[in-house]
Amino acid sequence: MKNQQRREVIQKGLIFALLIIFVLAIGFHEIAAALVSRVFGVSVRRGSVAELRFMMYFFGLYAFVTGWANIRKEGSWQQKFLQGLLTSAVAGFVVAIFDLLLVFLVSNSIDIRQYLTAFSIPSMSYFLFEKGQAGPLYHLGYFIVFGGLGALLHTLWITEMVQQAFEKTKGFIKTFATKASDAIPNVVKKYGKYLLLLVAAIIMYFLPRMWGSYINFVVGLVGLYVIAGIGLNIIVGLSGQLMLGYAAFFAIGAYSVALLNAPEPHNILLGFWPSIIIAIVMAILAGILLGLPLMGLRGDYLAIVTLGFGEIIRILLKSDLLENFTGGPRGINDIKGPTLFGRPFSNDIQFMYIIFIAVALSIFIYQRLQDSRTGRAWLSIKEDRIAAQATGVSLRKYKLLALCIGAAFAGLAGGISAARNQFTGPNDHSLLVSMNVLSIVIVGGVNSIPGIILGAFTLKGLPEILREVENYRQLAFGALLIVMMIKRPNGLWPATRPLYEKSHCLENEELNTGKERKND
Amino acid sequence: MTAKVKSPQVKQRDLGKIIRPIFGALVAAYILWRLYNVFIVEAKYGPQVWVSLLISGLIIGAVYSLIAIGYTLVYGILLMINFAHGEVVMLGIYAGYFVFEAAKAIQVPSSLNPELVFADAYPALSIFIAFIIGMGVSATVGFFLEKIAYRPLRKAPRLIPLISAIGASLVLQNVALLLFSPQLRNYNNPTVMARGNGWKMIINETPVNVPYTGVFTLILSVVLMLALLYLVRNTRLGKAMRAVALDKDTAALMGINVNHTISSTFLISGALAGAAGVMWGLHNGQVFNTVGFIPGIKAFTAAVLGGIGNIPGAMLGGMFLGLVESVGPTALGISFQLKDVIAFAILIAILIFKPSGILGEVLAEEKV
Amino acid sequence: MTDLIIQTNHVSKIFGGLTAVNQVDLEIPRGSIYAIIGPNGAGKTTLFNCISGFYTPEHGEILFQGYPIQGFTTDFIAGRGISRTYQNIRLFSNLTAVENIMVGQHTNLETAWWDAIISSPRYRRENQKARDNAMHWLNFVGLNGYGDFLACNLPYGMQRRLELARALASDPALILLDEPTAGMNPQESEEMMAFIRMIREKLEKSIILIEHDMRVVMGISDKISVLDYGTKIAEGSPKEIQANERVIEAYLGPGGAALAKKYQNRRRNKQDA
Repeated sequence: MKNQQRREVIQKGLIFALLIIFVLAIGFHEIAAALVSRVFGVSVRRGSVAELRFMMYFFGLYAFVTGWANIRKEGSWQQKFLQGLLTSAVAGFVVAIFDLLLVFLVSNSIDIRQYLTAFSIPSMSYFLFEKGQAGPLYHLGYFIVFGGLGALLHTLWITEMVQQAFEKTKGFIKTFATKASDAIPNVVKKYGKYLLLLVAAIIMYFLPRMWGSYINFVVGLVGLYVIAGIGLNIIVGLSGQLMLGYAAFFAIGAYSVALLNAPEPHNILLGFWPSIIIAIVMAILAGILLGLPLMGLRGDYLAIVTLGFGEIIRILLKSDLLENFTGGPRGINDIKGPTLFGRPFSNDIQFMYIIFIAVALSIFIYQRLQDSRTGRAWLSIKEDRIAAQATGVSLRKYKLLALCIGAAFAGLAGGISAARNQFTGPNDHSLLVSMNVLSIVIVGGVNSIPGIILGAFTLKGLPEILREVENYRQLAFGALLIVMMIKRPNGLWPATRPLYEKSHCLENEELNTGKERKND
Repeated sequence: MTAKVKSPQVKQRDLGKIIRPIFGALVAAYILWRLYNVFIVEAKYGPQVWVSLLISGLIIGAVYSLIAIGYTLVYGILLMINFAHGEVVMLGIYAGYFVFEAAKAIQVPSSLNPELVFADAYPALSIFIAFIIGMGVSATVGFFLEKIAYRPLRKAPRLIPLISAIGASLVLQNVALLLFSPQLRNYNNPTVMARGNGWKMIINETPVNVPYTGVFTLILSVVLMLALLYLVRNTRLGKAMRAVALDKDTAALMGINVNHTISSTFLISGALAGAAGVMWGLHNGQVFNTVGFIPGIKAFTAAVLGGIGNIPGAMLGGMFLGLVESVGPTALGISFQLKDVIAFAILIAILIFKPSGILGEVLAEEKV
Repeated sequence: MTDLIIQTNHVSKIFGGLTAVNQVDLEIPRGSIYAIIGPNGAGKTTLFNCISGFYTPEHGEILFQGYPIQGFTTDFIAGRGISRTYQNIRLFSNLTAVENIMVGQHTNLETAWWDAIISSPRYRRENQKARDNAMHWLNFVGLNGYGDFLACNLPYGMQRRLELARALASDPALILLDEPTAGMNPQESEEMMAFIRMIREKLEKSIILIEHDMRVVMGISDKISVLDYGTKIAEGSPKEIQANERVIEAYLGPGGAALAKKYQNRRRNKQDA
């Protein structure tokens, strides 16, 4: 084998080996086994470990993936397969060597749990398939066998025949879809939009009553983050101002509703609806106060200053200094919910309605703004500040406007959140919240409503559902951010452009991949 | 078509020019009033208090400076905020912790003391090893951080690497959490340099403690900073770093290996961060997975204060921030809880009044 | 309203130790095509930046149709009727061609953000008008059918035309063109010259241009000013400037005038022969 390939095999093998060792080091192997067992319908009780066979399945799967992912790109099928197999073998070898260390620790009952949490005797033993000294051999064997299998299957998969069959199926589906859509009469297409909205509204009415309060909680949380995401998108995605302290506006909204609706600090019970309006107004005022001095700042500086601002708000809320005013570190409890015509309107179903309406309103406002003179002015500022100014767009006015409108969205979301949770405190508005919202926008897709919804769901909805991986949630999220930025910086569901003119390039849309057009 | 002249001439008011000095004057007046109160009216703090605060301010300032230099180096060369730098520091702190743990565990019984441990028998060596390992670990983390999370994004618009950095910060924080558990740990200093021990200065008839760890931190920081300045100004690598910071493409055309230079920058920035981390551990003691976060943000504040991209500026900014943070709350009669607020408030103030920082920014790129 | 579209009196722009524009006086009549030329670094673009409001001159004043505009922000001045194009094209890359032009009309439209939200009839009317207007200018510069291309995907020549369309869309009284034929071959330059003439004739706009291509300058300018190291060294009709010794020396260096004369004589002799 040539030198280059040899190096690649060793490198990749090493990487995959380190990865599984890392999985052990963070204790994820037990969780992974639990997840695998879930697939098989066997649930694992909290605190206990899945049956051994699931660990083996997981390991086998990992070995399979190692083989699959490492076949050679070109060459005869024997070469492809061989590279995958060898990489897997190298990985297995490295893991086996590492296993010797584990065997040493286990057989001498050395417990280094104090230093590395995952290296407890039972955990290490579990990793070694409970086979003690034979563990390393098992691992090596698994890598060779399953890795080889993975490499073989992948090699077969990417042969001409399979690819052609794939393409044919795709084409078939596409023509079918076009024929189907052509068959729908024009009238339906035009008014279908409204019909869909009506159907959606009806569904939105019944669903919260049906799917239980836990799901209401989760979906509501997602909805609030969607509102915040849209607001932040106006600031970051439309007008191009990087803002890292968005949670501050959220906090202002939440605390406005809280302070005006709870017995604790001031015993004002203004009622939810007026308080929400006040919350939005306060957020806008904060936007003006923050924005006015900062209009001259450049991108990164603005980011750091907004970060500082967010932290200042949080620390002030937590401090004893303002405790009499804001309730201090304990936050504000027992916030009263909304009432409608005198009757309380604050159970989880009714809050869902409030949130649905708020989300719909946010989306509506955003769409309108985006396709308007204001929206275009924002985008022009984002693209080229100087040219925008020379075209007559007032930087100061529009940047401030974006900031205030974005802040208003946050205020709305914050206020609803406080009333719904019946509690708010300084820790609800940490930097992490700002980062979360920013990530939703960027990972979901800047300037893309479906993207933001998807992002909010991925960030907030999924973890609620996948409870087992709770401890690993942040780790996975961080890794997801990195991977997304490298692979798909435009987001999970990138924005599509509104088109004003039927140009001939539309017909060629299929042929023009995004990459080709960019290389002008 | 007629031209558009809206007459009579609309007078454009630049509110900023009016409000800014007024606001600045108000804030300055308020600060002076509070200082007056504390120093002259109440005068309840004798000089020993101030000296003690100054000392701790210098010490924390030195640590901030080292971390700030790391930020400034990376910003100068890549124009990005290395959000994960605080975590690089944190991993250095952990590394130093483990070295000291090992040093405390290894027994080297002597005739005098059968339970003597390595750390106490050879304190200087232990400390030296701790620093080497700490700096090494941080440098390695910085190196791989750049390679995995930043290098693929070098051509992307600014926002993308920033998000990647945020992701990296989360990853590192949680890796530490998962590897080492949430258990709060404390540095096991060699007895010779136990936390809190120090020379006693008598000021105003009260003893003021000058901690050994503090003095050590100060001296080592100064040495490292001087070494860095020498490196940047007098070595080939330093020249390459400055060249790449000024114009990446031209530097490449001149034969400089841009990737190596950038990796080296991250290695150096990581090493300094690791050193700062071990110092922090020795002096402050606490080790947990988010220990690097707030100092990281503050150090970045300091770097911006001094003019981002400007190395002496980062040093000055760090010292300034440390001193203000330490002396400020007491001098202004504010609760100690709010010392972080002071840091951020200063940052915002400086950026409003002098956006290019104290010493002026040394930026790499075209200004849009 | 005076007859001069632009009048600068002793305008100076100083950057620290460098005087980029030194006491420049200009009187540019309405409806003229006026060129500012000079060797590289002479301060031409800086002067443009002063007129468009990007810089504030340290000394002197700039009068636009009789009203002083120095010191005002760029967007204010743009709103008063001055548009410009750039040496290195500055389009809004990730917006489509039509959107670029629609931004160009920003100062002509009046709807505010709340209009957009409630979709008032005024908003809808204006949006439609903006769209139609943009299509008109798109076709005017010959980019029919390319409206939905992202500006960054257009070829160079079309990008230049798009920038012009954007500048025209705000219906300015004065257009500043910064090297409009940079990077063009002779044929394209001819087309651009005709285009500029048409803007002046059909649309009755005044034009100030910076140019290095002498054929273009001499071909379409009514009057030319020459800057060298920030100072105006000559002003006059194309013929006068061509013969001006100081101008020739500014471009060719000292002794340049004599050199030019020698070549002129040689060419005349060849023609005679």
